[in-house]
Amino acid sequence: MLELRAVAADIAGAPVLRGVSMHLPPGGLVALIGRNGAGKTTTLRAIMGLLPLRGGQVLLGGEEVTGVPAHHRARLGVGYAPEERRLFGPFSVRQNLLLPAEVLRLPAAETARRLEAVFTFLPELATLADRRAAGLSGGQGKMVALGRALIVGTRAVLLDEPFQGLAPALAQRYADALRGLHAAFPRVALLVTESNPQLLEPLVDTTYVIERGEILTADAATAA
Amino acid sequence: MGEWFEQNGALLGLALLDGIASAALIFMVAVGLNLVFGVLRVLNVAHGSFFAIGGYMAASIGLLMTAVGLPPWASFAALLLAAVVTGAILGPLIERFLLRRVYAEESVLQLLVTFALFMILEDLQKIVWGVQPVSFGGPVALMGTVDVPFAGDVIPYNAYQVILLPVVALLTLGGLAWFLRRTLAGRVIVAVTLDREAATAMGIDAGRVFLLTFTFGAVLAALGGALSAPTASLVPGVGASTIVLSFAVVATAGLGQIEGAALTALMIGIGRSVAVTFEPELEVVVPYLIMVAVLLLRPQGLFGVPETRRI
Ligand SMILES: Nc1ncnc2c1ncn2[C@@H]1O[C@H](COP(=O)(O)OP(=O)(O)O)[C@@H](O)[C@H]1O
Ligand SMILES: [Mg+2]
Repeated sequence: MLELRAVAADIAGAPVLRGVSMHLPPGGLVALIGRNGAGKTTTLRAIMGLLPLRGGQVLLGGEEVTGVPAHHRARLGVGYAPEERRLFGPFSVRQNLLLPAEVLRLPAAETARRLEAVFTFLPELATLADRRAAGLSGGQGKMVALGRALIVGTRAVLLDEPFQGLAPALAQRYADALRGLHAAFPRVALLVTESNPQLLEPLVDTTYVIERGEILTADAATAA
Repeated sequence: MGEWFEQNGALLGLALLDGIASAALIFMVAVGLNLVFGVLRVLNVAHGSFFAIGGYMAASIGLLMTAVGLPPWASFAALLLAAVVTGAILGPLIERFLLRRVYAEESVLQLLVTFALFMILEDLQKIVWGVQPVSFGGPVALMGTVDVPFAGDVIPYNAYQVILLPVVALLTLGGLAWFLRRTLAGRVIVAVTLDREAATAMGIDAGRVFLLTFTFGAVLAALGGALSAPTASLVPGVGASTIVLSFAVVATAGLGQIEGAALTALMIGIGRSVAVTFEPELEVVVPYLIMVAVLLLRPQGLFGVPETRRI
C-alpha cells in the first residue's frame, strides 16, 4: 500500500534521512522504532510531503506520489496524527474531526460513515464532540488526533509516537482501540512510530528499526 | 472641571467624533494587517501602501466618473471599485512574486523585503499621482450633515464620517468574525494560522490560503484608504503614517484579536484626535504612549491571551 524507496532528506542542510526504505502492505500494522532524534518524525513528514526530499521515492498503492503536493496526500487517503496532538484549539472536537472531510468535500454520506466508524472505536469522542479541543486532557487529545487521522486515512494512517505521555491505563486503552480499528479496516495500512518498543510488540506485523536516519533491520514478526 | 467643560465641551465632542471616524479607518487597515501576519507570519511594512493607493485610486476613479457625467451616487461605487481593483491586483502580484520567495527566510530579511516594497510603492505613487495633495469630496457633500447631540449641545457633523465610516467598520468587524468562526473558509484560515503543517496534512492548500488572505487584507486596507479619500487630501507619506498607526493598534490589542483591534483602534483614534484638539504637539506620540502603557502592563496586548494564540 505504502512504500518508501531510498528516501533521503536534509533538514537545515544536515542529512536526516539517508536512504530509508520500507514497505507497508495493505492492512499491515508496521512499527518504526528508534531513539529520539533517529528520524521517525522526519520519515512520517516525508511520507506526508511536508519536507522536500533529496532523493528516493514514495509510492502509494503502487503509484509514485513523491512529487504530489502535501495537501493532496490527504485526498489520496493518507491520514497523519503528528507527535504533539496538534489539534485546532478553538474548534470543537467535532469540528476538528470534520475539518478534513469538509476540506476534501467528501459527500455527506461518506463523511457520516467515516465519523460513525470513528465513534464506534473511540466512543469517548462522541461524548466529547461539542467540547473545545483546547480544553481536552492529553489523553483525550490523543484520541481526537487518532480519530482525525482515521477520517482521512482510508488507505494508510501514520501515527507518530501515539503512546508518548499516556498513563499506562490510557496507553492500554489506546492500544485496544488501535487493535479494534486494525481488525475493522482490513485494507488500511497502519504505520506507528515508538521509542519504546514494548508497547507495540503485541500488535505489529513488521518492525523497522531506524537509527541516525537509516533503517537497521526489518523484522517481520509472525502474525499473531 | 465644570467650567472647563462649559468652554470646551463642544470641542471635546468634535474631537470624539473625529476620533471615531479615524478609528474606523485605522481599524480597516489594522485588522487586515493582523490577519495577514497571523496566516503568513510576515509583518508587511507595505500594508499601509494599500491604504494610500486605495485612496489615490478612489480619487482618480471618482473624478473620472464625475467627468464622464455619471450620477453623484456613483461616487460610492468609485470607493468600492478602487478598493477591489487595488487589492485584487496588487495583493496577488506581491504575494505570488515577492513574499512567496521569502517565507522560508529569517524575519529580518522579510522585514527588509517588505520595507523595500513599501519604498517602491511610495515612489510609484509619486510617479502616478505626483506630490500635490489629491482629493475627492463627492460622497461627503452627497450625505450632508447630521446634528449629533453631545452633553446638552448639538454638534453638526458630516454624516459620511459619523455614520457611514463607523457602519462600514462595524460591518467589517461583524462580517469578519462571522466568516472566521462560522464558515468553512474561515475555519480553514484559522487552521492555517494555528498550525500550518497540521492544516496541510488535513488537505488544506496553505499556499492558496496565503494568497487569498493576503489579497483580502490588501482589499480591506485599500477600502480604508478609499473611504478616507473624501475627507482627507492624499499626500506622499500617508502610507507610512497609516502603517505605523496600525502597528500600534495590532501590538496594543494583541495578535489575532479582531474585536480587540476594533476597541484599540477606537482608543488610539480618539486619543489622537483629543490630542490634536487640546495639545497638538502631543498628537504624534499619543498612540505610542497608549501602546507602551498597555504593553508594560500586559506584554501580550490588551486582549491577547498568551496561551490560546491567534484568532
Ligand atoms: N527543525 C529542525 N531543525 C534542525 N534539525 C532538526 C529539525 N527537526 C529535526 N531535526 C533533526 O533531525 C533528526 C531527526 O529528527 P526526528 O525525525 O524528529 O527524530 P525522531 O522523531 O526519531 O525523534 C534529529 O537529529 C534532529 O535533531
Ligand atoms: Mg519524533
